[in-house]
Amino acid sequence: MKANPVLPDMATIMEVVEETSNIKTFRVRFNDENVMKNFTFEPGQVGQLSVFGIGESTFVINSSPTRMDYLQFSVMRVGEVTSRIHQLKVGDSVGVRAPLGNAFPTEEMKGQDVTFIGGGIGMAPLRTLLVYMLDNRDDYGKITLLYGARSPQDLSYQEDIAEWIERDDIDVVLTVDNPDEEWGKKPYEKAGLIPNVLKEINPDNKGYAVTCGPPIMIKFTLMALNELGFKDDKILTTLEKRMKCGVGLCGRCNIGDKYVCVDGPVFKYSELQELPNEL
Amino acid sequence: MQALAELKEQIRQALPDLDVVIGWQQGFDALHTRPLFIRSEEDIDKLVVNEFCVVNPASYLRELRGGKKVGLVLKGCDSRSVIELLQEDLLKEEDLTIFGFGCNGILNHTKLQARFGELGFIQSIENDGANVTVVVGDNKETVPFTELCADKCLTCVYPNTLQCSHFVGEESTKKPESEKNKALEEFEKLSLEERFAFWQDQMRRCIRCYACRNACPMCVCKDHCIANSREPKWLSEEVDVQNNFMFQLIHVMHLTGRCVECGECERACPMDIPIMLLRRKMAGVIRDVFAYNAGTNAEDTPPLMCFKVEEPTIEERH
Amino acid sequence: MACKFISNEDITLWLEALAKDHVVFVPVDDCGSVTFRPLAEGRKPVLDRVPVRSPKEAVFPQNETLLLYKYEKDLEDPEHSTVRIKETLPKERAVVFGTRPCGARGMTVFDRVFDNERIRDPYYATRRENTLFITLACNKVESTCFCHEVGSGPADTAGSDVLLTPVQGGYTAEAVTERGGQMLEASVFADGGNKCAEAEEVKKATREMLGEAHDYSDAPEKLLAVFDDDEFWEEQAAGCISCGACTYLCPTCYCFNITDEATGTTGKRLRTWDTCMSFQYTLEGSGHNPRSTKAKRLKNRVNHKFSYYPDTYEKNIACCGCGRCIKSCPASVDIRAIVKAAQARGAKKESK
Repeated sequence: MKANPVLPDMATIMEVVEETSNIKTFRVRFNDENVMKNFTFEPGQVGQLSVFGIGESTFVINSSPTRMDYLQFSVMRVGEVTSRIHQLKVGDSVGVRAPLGNAFPTEEMKGQDVTFIGGGIGMAPLRTLLVYMLDNRDDYGKITLLYGARSPQDLSYQEDIAEWIERDDIDVVLTVDNPDEEWGKKPYEKAGLIPNVLKEINPDNKGYAVTCGPPIMIKFTLMALNELGFKDDKILTTLEKRMKCGVGLCGRCNIGDKYVCVDGPVFKYSELQELPNEL
Repeated sequence: MQALAELKEQIRQALPDLDVVIGWQQGFDALHTRPLFIRSEEDIDKLVVNEFCVVNPASYLRELRGGKKVGLVLKGCDSRSVIELLQEDLLKEEDLTIFGFGCNGILNHTKLQARFGELGFIQSIENDGANVTVVVGDNKETVPFTELCADKCLTCVYPNTLQCSHFVGEESTKKPESEKNKALEEFEKLSLEERFAFWQDQMRRCIRCYACRNACPMCVCKDHCIANSREPKWLSEEVDVQNNFMFQLIHVMHLTGRCVECGECERACPMDIPIMLLRRKMAGVIRDVFAYNAGTNAEDTPPLMCFKVEEPTIEERH
Repeated sequence: MACKFISNEDITLWLEALAKDHVVFVPVDDCGSVTFRPLAEGRKPVLDRVPVRSPKEAVFPQNETLLLYKYEKDLEDPEHSTVRIKETLPKERAVVFGTRPCGARGMTVFDRVFDNERIRDPYYATRRENTLFITLACNKVESTCFCHEVGSGPADTAGSDVLLTPVQGGYTAEAVTERGGQMLEASVFADGGNKCAEAEEVKKATREMLGEAHDYSDAPEKLLAVFDDDEFWEEQAAGCISCGACTYLCPTCYCFNITDEATGTTGKRLRTWDTCMSFQYTLEGSGHNPRSTKAKRLKNRVNHKFSYYPDTYEKNIACCGCGRCIKSCPASVDIRAIVKAAQARGAKKESK
């Protein structure tokens, strides 16, 4: 932990990718090259982005620690801070406090199959782990990605997806709730709710499942994974809560005696079941 | 209160048709009551009515909107807030059952504290209506009720519950001690500079806990108050004279013509800031300009909620 | 512990000497309320009443500037501006005089959270290191006092540097920390002599006034047993008006908000007391709110103090028993009664 855990490091936006109508991806580098060089993190950890005068908000670092040219954050426009972040352009300054929180258990997952199930902006935390695993491909078993969104236009990371579809060491399935006329021509393009498509795919239940998305999707996906026979301690998800400090002090992101900002955001389903019912 | 048994009986009979009846019960010591939410027969016995029943039960009505059948035990001043809410179409009359009685005034904790120190040190207190006898340590003192009662009781002209469905006991014949609030009169004698200095000193003390707002029966914006809005941002989180004053002025302006002067804001204030001065001032202005008393007649339209080309009480300058 | 004596008259001399190189916070009559304010001309310490505000504000002020920022236009490219930020760590040295043992104990609840092996909050830690607590043992108890039930007592020294006890003509003074010991080397202090025995009698007598202590040690599991009992929590919270009086006055509540307060192209990042009783506290950008009702919020506050915190920090209750939340609650919500009711309800649930 740094000497002042609430003081951000200054960074500059190198690139902005317009993912969907309300999601933008920002690639940033720290202004101080030493900070950039010494920066380390693990897949799943988050950071706080600051727009001075507006405030801070928490986002997962969705680039992979195996590729340290920049740190990448995807921001969905929902409130005050995110609307302001969306106005930022290449060359603008932001504050970054990272890394914060825990990470996916990449060591424990070695040698195992991994099924990724992402919905909407929930794909962001999965992307970091997925890229990390693809960059350490020999360490992991079969990798499957099921990624869904409301419509084809709401699918983020189009460039990544195109690359993953080309690869033969990852199975990609995309699904949308509202297909357009073009949709469904490719074998990997499905229509329907994520939990239903997941059951259709019927991935091997001995491996890990990693899921993130809107709360209602997570709820039904967890039920589907249960049905498919995945073990509770091999189902991973990331939680979101309103956060301010990001370092376990300000109090608002607790569930029982756990703080999502330090004990999470990554939780095993078996851990979630131990927590008081207050999501 | 002799009529308490009768009141309980009235509630017992009405309860089957009601979701809840709000009244008062004994609090953590002899000087405190707390709100009672009667949902079952056993709860009725907990009801108390005395000079410590300070909370205005109508403040809880905003949480119970939406068809709930609610009973309320109300003092005269409390009942005015219900009438004002009815006038503003924020409540439906058919959802309410009001249990009334004649009130002889309530005691004020701040005045007791100023006189006797921390309330928690008071061993016993007895009120015979005219005098209050207080025992603290080896000291026993008898003080006229009017020196320890709430300010609103000194000017009260509505000691009996208005527009109630049930009334118990005898009507209170209590007459106001004075027509105007003494504290306000004293305050208005000060120069403009002195008044400003007074408020600067008081607003410095505000901790922006919003107890004044949340205790107010008329503050119906609930969780969407502009004081908490960050977009647009009206108030800084900075707790300083300027921002605190800004909040208090927004608050009083939103209550002008609506405030029934129940005094809950000031009573709830943990810092004992005399914000009723602001409310009383504005209520007086409304009385002068519109000849209107908030929450006294359900048929009235509050003057700031309607537009008339010619206001009968305002002499136009031509 | 060496025991010294200081006369009523010499207290003023001592405070004035301390004020030379410290901000000395003393309880004073502030328009009728007793609050801690810096010692100044015309401000007389009020020691026979309990300050309505807690001493935490000396170390954890309601507003704390975390950093200053400034946007600077790029003259070559006016479309762009860069930002400079400046850390603003506190520098003041302070003394809190006349807090009660409960209030000083409150700081120990903060210490475990803000300065530990995992994290050190430099704003808090700097102030804490630079602030001395001169605490006044109680010789009376209020109807809202329950320090003895949460592991403390009317002469508790936790969190203090010096403990004063009122005796005939003045106070006995005992050093709790080394820094406190240095303070007692001042010439205004005489040897305690037989005053020390008198002080022990005062302490004993006050403790006896509080009576037997209720046992909250099984509260963590009992509270969790009733976690999903909505009816119970709705009943307990019915009177609550969701204001922040309880949390702002509490010596152990440390939740905060961080906001940027801008004036044109400059501004500050501010840390402000926040309250878990407000709807906005956990309201998420999406509109979802995990604690959308006052019952859920009150449940969290009670659980935080009597269940989550003890579970995390070696069974220490995050409540110092000062009773401010009860005494200043506009609806007389009583946290003692809620925890006791939860213990009883939880026990009943377990036996079923």
